[in-house]
Formats: sequence, C-alpha cells, structure tokens
Amino acid sequence: MSIFEYNGSAVVAMVGKNCFAIASDRRLGVQLQTIATDFQRISKIHDHLFIGLSGLATDVQTLYQRLVFRHKLYQLREERDMKPETFASLVSAILYEKRFGPFLCQPVIAGLGDDNKPFICTMDSIGAKELAKDFVVSGTASESLYGACEAMFKPDMEAEELFETISQALLSSVDRDCLSGWGGHVYVVTPNEVKERILKGRMD
Amino acid sequence: MKLDTSGLETTMPVIGFGSNSEMLDGFSSVPSFDLPRTTDFDGFQKKAVEMVKPAKGTTTLAFIFKEGVMVAADSRASMGGYISSQSVKKIIEINPYMLGTMAGGAADCQFWHRNLGIKCRLHELANKRRISVSGASKLLANMLYSYRGMGLSVGTMIAGWDETGPGLYYVDNEGGRLKGDRFSVGSGSPYAYGVLDSGYKFDMSVEEASELARRSIYHATFRDGASGGVASVYHVGPQGWKKLSGDDVGELHYHYYPVTPVTAEHVMEEAAE
Repeated sequence: MSIFEYNGSAVVAMVGKNCFAIASDRRLGVQLQTIATDFQRISKIHDHLFIGLSGLATDVQTLYQRLVFRHKLYQLREERDMKPETFASLVSAILYEKRFGPFLCQPVIAGLGDDNKPFICTMDSIGAKELAKDFVVSGTASESLYGACEAMFKPDMEAEELFETISQALLSSVDRDCLSGWGGHVYVVTPNEVKERILKGRMD
Repeated sequence: MKLDTSGLETTMPVIGFGSNSEMLDGFSSVPSFDLPRTTDFDGFQKKAVEMVKPAKGTTTLAFIFKEGVMVAADSRASMGGYISSQSVKKIIEINPYMLGTMAGGAADCQFWHRNLGIKCRLHELANKRRISVSGASKLLANMLYSYRGMGLSVGTMIAGWDETGPGLYYVDNEGGRLKGDRFSVGSGSPYAYGVLDSGYKFDMSVEEASELARRSIYHATFRDGASGGVASVYHVGPQGWKKLSGDDVGELHYHYYPVTPVTAEHVMEEAAE
C-alpha cells in the first residue's frame, strides 16, 4: 500500500443551485487498523469557503494550519475574506513550493464566490488544479466516488436534495473501501447558512 | 493378519511431475498439477508466490466449550484496499459434522476443503466409520505440507464432533497443525482474541457462547479494515453442525451502541450583504 493509503480517506464536493456540499469520511487508521472514528478532514477557512484534505493525516493537519495562517494574514491586510478562486491559487502555490518533498495530501476546495456562485476544485499533491462544474473527489475511495457521483449527480439541485445525493454517494463508495468510512461528515453551504451533519454509516 | 500400511504410503505421485496421470483413477493419487516449463523455476515460483500472496484479510474464530464447538467468521473479501465482496462464505461445510474456516486465498481454501471432504467420505466408505477430527486435520496438514513453499495461502481451523467429543485443530499452509481450545485466524484476529479471551468460560450455554463469538467478530470488523460484512456463527454439537445466526455488522454496531439523538445548535450566519 502506498503512502497515500496509509491513513485512508474519502472527500467529495458537489455543486448545487447557489449552494455547495462538501463531505468526508471520519476514519483515521494506520494501514488496516482503525485508530479513531471522528477525524476532522474538512475545515472552515471562512463562512463561505471550506477545504477538505485527503491523504496522510499529519500533512492534512499541518497544511490546514498553514493555510489558516495565510488566510488570517490576508484578512488583516485586505480587511476582507479571500475569494475561493484566489484561495485555490494560494493552495496550488504552497503545494508547488514543496515540489521535491511534497505534502502528501490532495485538497478539495469548495466555496461560494461572487454572486453566490458555487466554486469547487481539487488538486493533486503538487498543486495541479482541476476545476469542475459538477463534483470533485479525492482519497482512497476516489474511484468508487467517481462512479457513484457520476451516476447520482444532477445539475441545479437545492440544498436538501444535494445533501441526500452527496451522502448517498459518499456512503455507497466508502462501503467498497477497506480504508475509509466509519461514518460521514457533511457540510451544506448556502448563502445564508452552513449546515453540518454527521452521517450514520457502516462501522466495518 | 496383514497390517494395513496404506496410511504410510507416500501421497506424492510416483510417475513424475507434470506427466499425464489419466491412466490412474481420479482419487488414488494426489491431484497432480502441471508445473510451468521455465528455465528459472525458483525465480518463477517466487514471483508466483508474490502475485498470489493475499494478506489473510479476514477474521475467523473457533472455541471449544461445554456444549461443543462454536465457529464464527466475517464475510469480507478484499483485494488490497478494494472490497471485492461483502458476502463470502468463510465457514465451509466439509460434511454434516465437521466445519472448516477460510482465511487466506479463497480458491485455495475452497478447493482443499472440498478435497478434504472427499477424502473423509472415502475413509468412511473404506472403514465403515466416520473419520475423527484429528484424522481429518492430519490429512489436510499432510496435503498442505507437500505443497509447502509453492505459494498456497491457507489458514484454516477444522472443527467437529467425533467419538472423543468436540475437536478443534488449526492447520496452515506451512504444514503446521495445532490442537487447541481457542483459535482466531486472520488480520482481525488480535481484536477478536481480546474480546474472546476476556469473555471465555468453559461453562457457557449455547446462547452465551454464540453471543461471545458474535461480539468478538463484531469488534474485529470495527477495528480491522479488512474484515466486515456479515458475522456468521455456527455451533457444532453431538448431532452435527447448525448455523445459529448471520448478522450484518453494520446493524450490530447500532444494536450494541445505539445513537442517542442530540439536539444540534444551528449556527445562523449573517446574510452576506
């Protein structure tokens, strides 16, 4: 098993009508052994910007701390929140700085931009951005997630339907992966509110 | 009276490897497999072993108690990180009074258990009485020993009830054979042992023993990534084996640890102007 599969992870983000949803599994493992079932993979940068990090857990935590630091500096200097597109470029630059000794994680960025237009993108571990209009996935369960999202996704879903779709896609994909699962964590973000939910999943 | 030395006869085919043995009737010699024609036989074997080598991702357990033998297993098959099936039968019914468990290569375990079943039946017909668990496990162990080093992956327990009472043996692909009261095999076995050893008493009823077995498998599926699916529990008594339960471990979790609903506090965000 490669280093990206050491801890196990699954992260997915989907676009809806003026809203987005980002979801992850909750398992932290050391190869096949499960250590924790409440690991935070998705973190808030500001109210309309979330980042989910899959891959090696230590790099997930360190990279998140670095990004929060950079964003807080930006907020102090510019007196406003970062736009999602700008933040994606920032993450890409930070990852490429470590081109020859990379952070072993793959981020999924989801945010609401100008006019509450949802923005999602994913990157590989050295910062190659991949923008998408519908959904992005990352983690050990990514192949299953691609299949599930492709089958279940519809454009312009409202927040409740988007929540159902992303939850079903996540749970059915991690049920085919030994290294991720043990519950789910879903954030659904609309211009006015952020709903955080924990999913009951198979604990095996 | 002439001594019956058929048990001492070598099981290796006398004619030579890879040759056509269709002239002999099917079962009087060991099934002989064609060997590959290659110049580097040792290297080829090493590569074949590496290719086939699964990590015995599974949890199986068996223990002897007052009322017989309890046998339990999960039902997940994994290929590296991918779950290929959640509904594999890992407890193999060799004959109505003997069970075998599967850990390691599925094909290997299925084939050799079926082969063992054939040999046990032939023994019954030849000797007019059932084979003992000790004898059956010895047949399997000797068979696996003759294929030692060739990349078979079999970690099995033979559980049964014979004239001497309940019997339990652990047999593996190295040719090892151990008699014992409690065994667990597979990547989830450390977790299963933890629960099994702390809850085990010889004087248990069938219900208590089956609940202990089910709980041990459940805990192993929770902690081990390569175990999961359905926890099957079988009981072997004087009348033979009987399947007691097959519970989905996803549901067992919420049965043992129900979720108490917590009122969440919605964070209302200021509408961004």
